[in-house]
Amino acid sequence: MAEVEETLKRIQTHKGVIGTIVVNAEGIPIRTTLDNSTTVQYTGLLHQLTMKARSTVRDIDPQNDLAFLRIRSKKHEIMVAPDKEYLLIVIQNPSE
Amino acid sequence: MSLTPTFLSLLLLFLFLFCIFPLFYFMTNQLITHSLTHSLTHSLTHSLTHSLTHPLTHSLTHSTAQPLRVITEDTCLFHYLVPAPMSPSAKSMCSETGSQDSGDGNSRTLHWDPDPSTLQLHSDSDLLGRSLRLGMAKVTQVDFPPKQSVSYSKETQTPTCTQTHTQAKPAEEEEEEEMAEPKPAEESKEEKADQEEKQEEVTPKDLTEEEKMQLLHSEEFMAFFDRGSRIVERALSERVDVCFDYSGRDLEDKEGEMQAGAKMSLNRAFSDERWSKNRVVTCLDWSPQYPELLVASYNNNEEAPHEPDGVALVWNMKFKKTTPEYTFHCQSAVMSAAFARFHPNLVVGGTYSGQIVLWDNRSNKRTPVQRTPLSASAHTHPVYCVNVVGTQNAHNLISISTDGKMCSWSLDMLSQPQDSLELVFKQSKAVAVTSMAFPLGDVNNFVVGSEDGSVYTACRHGSKAGISDVFEGHHGPVTGLSCHSAGGPVDFSHLFISASFDWTVKLWTTKSTRPLYSFEDSCDYVYDVMWSPTHPALFACVDGSGRLDLWNLNNDTEVPSASVCVNGSPALNRVRWAHSGREIATGDSDGQVLVYDVGEQICVPKADEWTRLVHTLVEINENRDEGEELAAQRLVA
Repeated sequence: MAEVEETLKRIQTHKGVIGTIVVNAEGIPIRTTLDNSTTVQYTGLLHQLTMKARSTVRDIDPQNDLAFLRIRSKKHEIMVAPDKEYLLIVIQNPSE
Repeated sequence: MSLTPTFLSLLLLFLFLFCIFPLFYFMTNQLITHSLTHSLTHSLTHSLTHSLTHPLTHSLTHSTAQPLRVITEDTCLFHYLVPAPMSPSAKSMCSETGSQDSGDGNSRTLHWDPDPSTLQLHSDSDLLGRSLRLGMAKVTQVDFPPKQSVSYSKETQTPTCTQTHTQAKPAEEEEEEEMAEPKPAEESKEEKADQEEKQEEVTPKDLTEEEKMQLLHSEEFMAFFDRGSRIVERALSERVDVCFDYSGRDLEDKEGEMQAGAKMSLNRAFSDERWSKNRVVTCLDWSPQYPELLVASYNNNEEAPHEPDGVALVWNMKFKKTTPEYTFHCQSAVMSAAFARFHPNLVVGGTYSGQIVLWDNRSNKRTPVQRTPLSASAHTHPVYCVNVVGTQNAHNLISISTDGKMCSWSLDMLSQPQDSLELVFKQSKAVAVTSMAFPLGDVNNFVVGSEDGSVYTACRHGSKAGISDVFEGHHGPVTGLSCHSAGGPVDFSHLFISASFDWTVKLWTTKSTRPLYSFEDSCDYVYDVMWSPTHPALFACVDGSGRLDLWNLNNDTEVPSASVCVNGSPALNRVRWAHSGREIATGDSDGQVLVYDVGEQICVPKADEWTRLVHTLVEINENRDEGEELAAQRLVA
């Protein structure tokens, strides 16, 4: 458990990282370093997007599955590491 | 509407009632007597029960036990129920549900469908104000408007299939029908969607702190987090900007070839604050399956006695993250480590206590999954050398400890060695082995270096199992051995080099017990030496003053062809070429692992290197013989 904390802290203190969210299968954020409203917004939107991305991948090839999702926008980069049950979301500002 | 006939009948009945009640009023001028109302209600209910719908009859059957009460102006809801014009004293309590009995039973209301649009009858006040006269009641026409269909704009919620359906039908009538049907369908869908959304919005607040902590401690979360955080850390460290615009902006930092002709440049430095600080790197090994993985073993941290004594970290060259891929530790200081050659998931470690430990990166544990026993059948002295030799189907783990015991193990079962051999020289002197090397392709013969400064060749099997020859030449303990491994047109597998505390590196051949050449450029203990896996004449050595030297026999045997000094001059304990022969990893006494890129001119062999080496060796041989002759002559003289 301490390793989880340590790793989360390490990710959070990485250069340019704005926030880290851990989400469970139902779309409920379990751990977050952002404020509540932002967390809820990110969680809701990214959960849906991940589901959509996963279903897209599986529709194209049923043996395939989503491994990693990375959205590069003009200002930020959002990385989503999905799993059967959880999501790890990290938002980074790559220009820092 | 299915109810319309019943409502029409209700209308008629109320009209009937309307006629009856004024009659009573005339007759009695008082409250409707119990008997009359009773009989009236009976007849009414009888007639009503036939025509009304079930819920209404249900409520009515309740009321058969009770008389019909007059509803006065203070009844709020049931104004469509025609009241008796008299009896101001009649009280009735209106109850919204209507079907419940109150205690006294006097209050009784009938529960009708309270939708006011279905029946519009005169309100109480109108009737009470007027004098009682029989007359035709005003028949109010009620038009049932069609059910309000809420229309939505196309962009939001209309399902495309129904739209296309409606558009496809050419006839207008059909279109209209279709439009009516999809609209209620859409409505119901939207209602459902709204409900679902509301439910979803409600659920995020369900988990309490305790539940969250529980989730965080669960096994699946650990497994997920281990994997997910690993990937995210790698992705975070990537600094590649795919959107970089070369035309618009100035290039601030010029990546790429800084020096085209560089000899050696530092590529990566690996160290971990928690696990590698204050520990000495005791061994390095590159993975045969994944050329970017490197395992480094560390001994104990004197300044942290509560941390595990032995640590092995697997570093990844491919990604820029600065933390190890895998962290393994065990209770005793790890003196040697290797990737198990035919098992990509296993890392073998030889420890100071004599145990051989096996870590598996498939398990989530950081502690070893298998350990050899601490018994006399296994090792009881520090194990400085571990190696997996053989082929895919027939391989063994060979380990030698400093008491001269050599054991061969099967990686599946570490509970006892398959075979063990005492390395003794001349049947008495046990050899304190500090380093071991197998020639390329050979699983039987090998060379060992010992603490007394001699190098021995030995065999594992056969009649001459054990030590065969002794190569004396070093004046101090032998710290590193390496057999020639660059395959090519000419076979040099008889060559091997050794490094020692006597500041020298000596070149030997198995055909002769005297060293071929001694490289004496160093000013400190030479800790390790290794032939390049690709270049036949190139080897690297590291010494205690922080120098990493590359010697090319074909160029010059007096001075190294390339040399680099590590920042801070820590003692470099280990050196390992990557399997590609393009990179060198060194471990130092501060727990840092440094990976250097070697320039192409140096590390890539040209086609004639092998033949040149043959000539070089011939020269070396001649020089050696001359030197010996000279030395002999001097002795004589």
